[in-house]
Amino acid sequence: MIDHEFISLEAFISSAESFVKISDRIHDDWKFHRDYDKQSYYIKKDTFIKHADELFKAEFNIFYNLSYGVPSFSFNIWESSGSLLSLEDIRRMSLIEIKEKDFYSVITQQEHPVFGRPYFVMHPCQTLELLASLPDSKNIIVTFLSLITPLINLKLPLEYGLL
Amino acid sequence: MSHQEIIQYVPFLSFVHPSFWHNLTELKLNVDRLNENTKQIYGRFTYREDIGSVFEVDGTSFNKDPDDEHFYLNVTGTVMNKNTIEDFKNIDKASLLNSLGEIIWQNIKTKTWIEYPNTLLNFFLLSFADLKKFHYYYWFAFPTPSQPTVHLKEKSTALSEHFNNKYLSQISEEYQALDVRQRCFFIISADSNNVQVHKLSDVFNKENGEMKIDISNLYFAFSDPSNSENPGWSLRIFLAALLEHSLQLYQSEIKVVGVRIAKNGSVEKSRLFTIITPQSTESVNGKAWVGWERNNKGNFGPKLANMSASMDPVRLADTSSDLNIKLMQWRLVPKLDVEVMKKTKCLLLGAGTLGCHVARDLLAWGFRHISFIDNGKVSFSNPTRQVLFNYEDCLNGGQMKAVAAAENLKRILPTVVSNGSALHIPMPGHPIGESLKEETISNIKQIVEAIQEHDVIFLLLDTREARWLPTLLAAHYGKITVNAALGFDSYLVMRHGLGYAEINSDVRSSYVDGSQLGCYFCNDVTAPGNSIKDRTLDQQCTVTRPGVAAIAGALAVELLVGLLQHPQRINAPAPYNLTEEDSSFDGVLGPIPHSIRGFLHSYQTVTPTCAKFKQCIACSNVVLAKYKEEGIEFLMKVFNSGTYLEEITGLKELHLTAEIADVLTFSDED
Repeated sequence: MIDHEFISLEAFISSAESFVKISDRIHDDWKFHRDYDKQSYYIKKDTFIKHADELFKAEFNIFYNLSYGVPSFSFNIWESSGSLLSLEDIRRMSLIEIKEKDFYSVITQQEHPVFGRPYFVMHPCQTLELLASLPDSKNIIVTFLSLITPLINLKLPLEYGLL
Repeated sequence: MSHQEIIQYVPFLSFVHPSFWHNLTELKLNVDRLNENTKQIYGRFTYREDIGSVFEVDGTSFNKDPDDEHFYLNVTGTVMNKNTIEDFKNIDKASLLNSLGEIIWQNIKTKTWIEYPNTLLNFFLLSFADLKKFHYYYWFAFPTPSQPTVHLKEKSTALSEHFNNKYLSQISEEYQALDVRQRCFFIISADSNNVQVHKLSDVFNKENGEMKIDISNLYFAFSDPSNSENPGWSLRIFLAALLEHSLQLYQSEIKVVGVRIAKNGSVEKSRLFTIITPQSTESVNGKAWVGWERNNKGNFGPKLANMSASMDPVRLADTSSDLNIKLMQWRLVPKLDVEVMKKTKCLLLGAGTLGCHVARDLLAWGFRHISFIDNGKVSFSNPTRQVLFNYEDCLNGGQMKAVAAAENLKRILPTVVSNGSALHIPMPGHPIGESLKEETISNIKQIVEAIQEHDVIFLLLDTREARWLPTLLAAHYGKITVNAALGFDSYLVMRHGLGYAEINSDVRSSYVDGSQLGCYFCNDVTAPGNSIKDRTLDQQCTVTRPGVAAIAGALAVELLVGLLQHPQRINAPAPYNLTEEDSSFDGVLGPIPHSIRGFLHSYQTVTPTCAKFKQCIACSNVVLAKYKEEGIEFLMKVFNSGTYLEEITGLKELHLTAEIADVLTFSDED
């Protein structure tokens, strides 16, 4: 399923569809968005995060990165007024669990290739290597998320593993 | 044992999605402009038991019809966007709320809400958008009558303690089968045999205010935004409406269920409230209204959304450009000092081919203070090689290069501090007539000021002699000087040593101290004469292979950055051999040569090193002392004579004593 060159858009889409089906069943809030015209395909989850008595909203995306040919992970976290948290805020609050020295090399803020607004994006360089190291993956999205979840404080319910 | 406490409602916490501000801005800029329209919008809240009492708006709030999100209820509301902060502050909040309340009270009196329970809930958003700073002041209100005040007979309990699992799943099923617009407020009826969920209109008798079902079996239910033991805000208006409708409900104990649903559809975490209604009917009159949201400090005041970091395009350009450099540091060179570039002010003497390339590369490295001095105008031959200029800059006689360069730099990055001065730099051996004396002195003063104000001086001029004055001044004021000069297919990029540094007679075998390095003129044993006098037109501007300027400009900036990243900065030693294993001369980006000479013809570069020349016409202590002592007087003497410099530095004698027939000096024509 994983070509050593890249992961095809079709492979991404079919994985995303099966993934979202399970998500619907267990009410995990992932939704699949597709726009043929804009060439954008992504799954998105909105959720509340609580930290030190304050409530934040987080948006997680897994989108198909056309230039790298792999799935990419992006997110944003904002407070109740709508203003976005900075990367430094997020790191300080350990809303994302990555060691400091690795943090900035793994996550950068950039103009999102799909949404065109500032988002925090996980750098896609290592993605292909990581995914290629797990060739028996039945679902690319699940494999991808399982690699990220230790870092991102995102709970991946067991049900996904039963694909 | 049972203590009757006044009921406490959990207020809504407003939560604005960034897309809401994007759409509001869009509407304001493109549709409303200066009109202050009130607009109907939608908000929503969830009755999920794992999420507290949050009221959300986002970009879809402006849609004609809201989406139905799972386990969310949509609420109709109004946004009133004020044009000025004064209007926002001065509007009478209390009477605004009361007028909103009046409309809702009408709904209650005419019993419309029984048919359409979702119309009972409303919200209001007062806002002011400062679109220069992208600051949004906002204030939510959830209008509800302040009366009645009711009491709780006892603490609320979980519904699972009251109903068995069979009843609970029945309620869950029927509740989810209800039309979304009926879920806001509804009825649960239960007896020993059965439990049922009803729409309000099926249970309420609109004519006489009586219930069609025995009250003792009735539970007044509502989708509860709260997930604590206290009920959500929506209950407050429900009770007011109930009491207005039915006298039967006064002075009694009524059972209320706040429905909270789990992700799997279970309603077991719903809450049962036993409420004691007031005795007197007087208070329920819909006259006084409450509902303005408290701000983060807990006061009744507006909130501020500072969206500039994510919405102000100028700020976005700035932070994105900075990010590029930070990435270098985070991912490749952890010891890179990213701040020093931002703080270092660069003065570019010459806004031609070299100047334009240097400026672009400085920008790329994060320098944000770049000034130009150039006396020329943009001509039609310039834009193809001088990368800051466009065709438009050539029209109408041509813009002043220094000014155009600064303007165009700002069009690349709005936050760069850049200005340009059109000044002629006086040159040794180019006499200054009486008529130009005043202007020249004024120019000199401006040049001196510019050099004093900046940290780094780039010499990017098109003649050798024009570099003399700035070399002297930079040495006098202790500035870092980077020099670049072009030949047809060759280039020189170098850094100058430190002025007033004592010449160290120790000869070291592997490096020269940074302070001891020679300047552009140290290698020359003749003073710069008037090299332009007898030149033909095509010799007056240096004609070079285009790549040479790009390479030299880039190297000049890389040399500077290497220097700034070296702990000793201007004093960084210049090793004779750059490729040696010994890294003791290295800064963060490696060793810094004294000079780089490149030959495009053979694609070769060499990095010669030379020490200061005691009799240098530009940077020697003799010359600097003269300037220190006599100032502009001295300078004028130099400009007016082709030989004065040779005299004071003793070069004249040097010529006589040495048999120098052909001294090869590296000048711009070679």
